[in-house]
Amino acid sequence: MDALRIPAPTELDSLEEEHFRQVVRAFLHENYPEELRNPPKRLHWSENKPWYMTLADKGWLCPGWPKEHGGLGLSPAKQIILTEEYERYGVARTNDHGIVMLGPLVIKYGTEAQQQHFLPKILTGEHIWCQGYSEPGAGSDLAALRCEAVPDGDDYVVNGQKIWTTLATDANWIFLLVRTDKQAKKQEGISFLLVDMKTPGITVRPIINLELHDEFCEVFFDNVRVPKANLVGQLNKGWDMAKALLSFERIFLGSPRQSGYALSRLRILAERMGVFEDAEFQDRYTRLRLELEDLKALYGTFVAKLKRGESLGPDVSMLKIIQTELFQRITDTMLEIAGENAGLLEPMEGNRNLHPTGQFIQARPATIYGGSNEIQRNILSKNVLGLPG
Amino acid sequence: MSAALEDDARAESIRMIRDSAAAVAPPGGDLSRIRGLRFKAPGHDPATFRQLGEMGWIGLRVPEAQGGAGLGLGEACALAEELGAALVPEPLIPAMLSASLLAAVGAGPLEALLAGTALPLVAWQERADTLEVPGTPDAPRKFLVNAAAATSFLLPVREADRIALYEQAGGALTLEPTQDGGTFGTLTPDLAGASRIAGDIGEALALALDEAALLTGAYLLGGMERALAMTLDYLKTRSQFGKIIGTFQALQHKAADVKMQIALTRASIEAAAATLDEGATGDLRRATVSRAKARAAESAMVVTRQCIQLHGGIGYTDDYDVGLYLRKAMVMANQYGSATLHRRRFMATSPEGEE
Repeated sequence: MDALRIPAPTELDSLEEEHFRQVVRAFLHENYPEELRNPPKRLHWSENKPWYMTLADKGWLCPGWPKEHGGLGLSPAKQIILTEEYERYGVARTNDHGIVMLGPLVIKYGTEAQQQHFLPKILTGEHIWCQGYSEPGAGSDLAALRCEAVPDGDDYVVNGQKIWTTLATDANWIFLLVRTDKQAKKQEGISFLLVDMKTPGITVRPIINLELHDEFCEVFFDNVRVPKANLVGQLNKGWDMAKALLSFERIFLGSPRQSGYALSRLRILAERMGVFEDAEFQDRYTRLRLELEDLKALYGTFVAKLKRGESLGPDVSMLKIIQTELFQRITDTMLEIAGENAGLLEPMEGNRNLHPTGQFIQARPATIYGGSNEIQRNILSKNVLGLPG
Repeated sequence: MSAALEDDARAESIRMIRDSAAAVAPPGGDLSRIRGLRFKAPGHDPATFRQLGEMGWIGLRVPEAQGGAGLGLGEACALAEELGAALVPEPLIPAMLSASLLAAVGAGPLEALLAGTALPLVAWQERADTLEVPGTPDAPRKFLVNAAAATSFLLPVREADRIALYEQAGGALTLEPTQDGGTFGTLTPDLAGASRIAGDIGEALALALDEAALLTGAYLLGGMERALAMTLDYLKTRSQFGKIIGTFQALQHKAADVKMQIALTRASIEAAAATLDEGATGDLRRATVSRAKARAAESAMVVTRQCIQLHGGIGYTDDYDVGLYLRKAMVMANQYGSATLHRRRFMATSPEGEE
């Protein structure tokens, strides 16, 4: 594997798919820090910065961006291969909101000046972005958001609060959905605004979650002045832009990798607890394995659609539901077989591979974030099955 | 006394126990004391533990002649349930286990334990998920709740065909933090420095462990009730899409499912307490306790998981109290036997009834 030549970033989009997969494997083997594989918690910037900068230096940071903006220009098919290999290797997520969310949006809707100003700073790691969408009163009902931007001279004045802002303490810029028209239908009065976190009037407060980790934050805006030049796209069109962007990333919430990794840990735990050979456990384990295999097959049909250049429909919600609920069932089973170890805070015996409680807690929000499973079932009922309401 | 009068007297006794629990389990649901004790050794407040003694709770099941209150499992389960609702971290159940054992053998620091001034912990587990005592005397004893506060350890030790009891004053102890903010200790036995205080405790220990299993189920039941109450409050106040979210049928049905799990758990726990109070022994006792504990262990996880889900994002924050009930369930669901262990024991001990 080490002998495989890693081509220049500009050549990657032209490789044949299987060759590309081998190149990604070799790249990770050569460059990814061993100690960061499969981290038990979301890493902060101080922890993932070396990997971010390695990707930046090698030109691999932004797989989906067009080459003219410094990306790899990969097709959806190749982006999926890349993600699959990252997941297989246990590559940690970086502070990637600039790469995955903001960059593509600015490329699609931003002015040339915005593109020239913001995109290079993501590529160098100078700007680390976070996403300000949800609010205390606007979770599942995101379009009900109330954080408002009122025009005043050359600026907007922003007032309000965001919540569940991932890694906001690490970020120096935030992209916001803000209310710019209170009279319009709720989806039609929302705009997309870029804000420097150093602007006076912004307060960031970390939220400690059940992992006892400060992954999420609340961000408060008190008369924050933002230049009008930082509006992206048309006024009051922010909702449609943000929604268009969510299209093909939705498949990743249904990636079977998370459940696959958890299942392999369930097996290690079952062997350690001496129950793996029990007939009763074997039956449960087999059920989980079969569910995983079928999820992989279903996931494959959606991947095939993307590879054919088709866009995904609302039925992709099925993947998210099936994956996250399988992930939870696997980790529920971990606690059931762990005996009193189900109460430990840290990994058993200091072994990262024996951490049932960490995996169990990590699985809890999976059915809540990214559109709760209740919302996903609503989407299936209405938009796929055509039920009224 | 007529049967009806006896039932009334019993109900009154149980009601009084529930009322008295308010002394350490504030009915308003304020958990600030519990939060303040988390992740600091020993994981509970020794002064409050003494209060449990002063209330007569540690000796609730100990005969009056030995300084206890001589009350039944009906009362004990009601008390454990109230403490579970308030997540009281003082180790009442391990203390009651020790008290039952010491009362049965008539030796050891029973008086100080009942007063809440001593905490001898029964160190009986050499591995996870077992109700068996160790096969070897020097096996490490694990999962000792808040062991940093223990004043001594009671070690069941196999001797030929009997189980003897040793009391060890201190010893090499390692502590691991638990999800609820307490600790599990692992003790390295030192029998040379321990005193042998009883020669045949097999039956007494088996009974005491069964009672501890049932009380653990009752404690979990209290937590489930409180977690559901919090969740219903949230469903009745949180609004999305211009509606109170409790009006959405998908959420109503989830809450109804939670209620049914709790109802089954309560029925199972109360039936088990009554069966044991009527004097059930042997296989009937084991089967009854196992049925209740299997149900409570499984329901506790289902209920607390679902309550987190029904809260959405806020349920995943450490600041919000519902998560404390999930963490407590993680720690206690498998104590004194997991659902799997108890299902297996139920099948081995319960005669198939005729329907």
